[in-house]
Amino acid sequence: MHFAGVDIGSTMTKVVLTDKAGNLLSFIKGPTGAEHRQLANEVMRQALEEAGLHIGDISYIVATGYGRLNVPFADCQITELSCHARGVSSLFPRARTAIDIGGQDAKCMKIDNGRLANFVMNDKCAAGTGRFLEVTASALGIRLEDMGDISLKAARKIPISNLCTIFAQQEVVALLSRGEKLENILAGLHDALASRVAALARRLGLEPDLVLTGGVAKNIGMVKAMKESLACEIFVPEEPLLTGALGAAILARETYMRAAAAGEALPTKSRRLEKATFFSQEHR
Amino acid sequence: MSWFMGIDIGSAYSKGVIIKSVELVASHIIKSGADYRKSAEAIRTELMNKVGLTRNDVAYTVATGSGADNVYFAGHKASDIVCTARGIGSVFPQARTVIDIASQSTKVIRLDEEGIVTNFTASEKCAAGGGRFIEVIANVLRIDLGDFSPLAARSRSPITFGTSCAVFGESEAITRISEGMSKEDIASGVNKALASNIVSLVKKVKMEEPCAVCGGGALNISLVKTIETELDTKLLIPPQPQLITALGAAIIAAASATSAPRKKNNS
Repeated sequence: MHFAGVDIGSTMTKVVLTDKAGNLLSFIKGPTGAEHRQLANEVMRQALEEAGLHIGDISYIVATGYGRLNVPFADCQITELSCHARGVSSLFPRARTAIDIGGQDAKCMKIDNGRLANFVMNDKCAAGTGRFLEVTASALGIRLEDMGDISLKAARKIPISNLCTIFAQQEVVALLSRGEKLENILAGLHDALASRVAALARRLGLEPDLVLTGGVAKNIGMVKAMKESLACEIFVPEEPLLTGALGAAILARETYMRAAAAGEALPTKSRRLEKATFFSQEHR
Repeated sequence: MSWFMGIDIGSAYSKGVIIKSVELVASHIIKSGADYRKSAEAIRTELMNKVGLTRNDVAYTVATGSGADNVYFAGHKASDIVCTARGIGSVFPQARTVIDIASQSTKVIRLDEEGIVTNFTASEKCAAGGGRFIEVIANVLRIDLGDFSPLAARSRSPITFGTSCAVFGESEAITRISEGMSKEDIASGVNKALASNIVSLVKKVKMEEPCAVCGGGALNISLVKTIETELDTKLLIPPQPQLITALGAAIIAAASATSAPRKKNNS
């Protein structure tokens, strides 16, 4: 008896496999793919291979994330908000607030009794998401993964006056050509994103412990900037990208166990790995 | 000493004009680039060369636009709202509403019978609220800005953008291209999205007709037509609409020099 959580994000696809007791067996992260986004089956196959399992061994599979409707082998779909909240509280039982900053949105979740109680999110404006850093990194000619480390060397933060990502992109190039130091510009950029996300989080009301997840949580400069903006301690899981898929796997196990205890048979999908097409027209 | 200069340093383009009494004698447009001070200087030099003037021939210069501070040789700065109003008033004295579609934002200005600003509103500094959205998508479609409007005009079924952010719109356009959507339908979809943002801005200040349109966005005829349809009115389009604010600055310069000595920012 095994369980799986599949999280199809805008940029990364994540799969987590657990055993009967909910212990982590394997996890795999792979790019969702820019164009046809057909990688759920591939990522699933790798995760199974690593755990030495076959798709037929999985009792229940929950899909989550943007592309959750297009995972043909998933038995059930649960929103990423519920899965994130569940995943975070399994890793940090004292967590009351989770902030997930991804490449396409930012979500702030309130957790009560290990479950999602309330949330606010921004998926309308790139300036409050990881995309802000992606776009400005490429304008500055540096790698996204180097941004945080470089920003820590800053002697001061240069305030970024433009909110809009497109204009900020132009602004940072102008700052650089004016001779401003790269690390100071980066510190300003991190601060700009952190204060936008902090404003979003405050709408929800902050309660400790606070956990930061999503790709942006891997950026040490952002963790620092968020700590400063929110003036509180921030916990970051070892694998900040995986909380959604982990939560999905935990919810898969809970759903299955509850049905089993009640003696009900859960409908499951065919255990065949086929090509999945995300964001396809028929699901719009 | 009867020449006057108006310089409008915008986020994307810098514009300058020289007028003699009220007649436009020269104009120049360059990309603003990273160094606004240099752009201002380049415009002054080019304008004077075009007319054959020396620095002493220009009686007074007024600077406007988001980079106005960099025009160190200007007599004073004037707000872009006031300059746009004066510029439009010189071409269309009958206009009561002006829509200025610039790169960084769109402004809607209400004018009274004398051309005095009575009210205005501006979109937030968000690329989706101004012409920059079009530049971003034109870049994705790999077409020149000048080809955007004719391309959009050929569309049969414009796409509807699911986002109001230019960055997300850029990704959406890339996805749609990979799904086989035509460039025409994407270009037209951008015009539709921008037009609807602009129309809601116009409604905020309660449009009074006749309404004029200016700024670089007014060169996009297909966008102007979409706005006309939504507002159910015919828009007045000046020749060289992107120069209107600089023209207004030059007119203010002429008025400043002929009236008593004046303080800064008292336009």
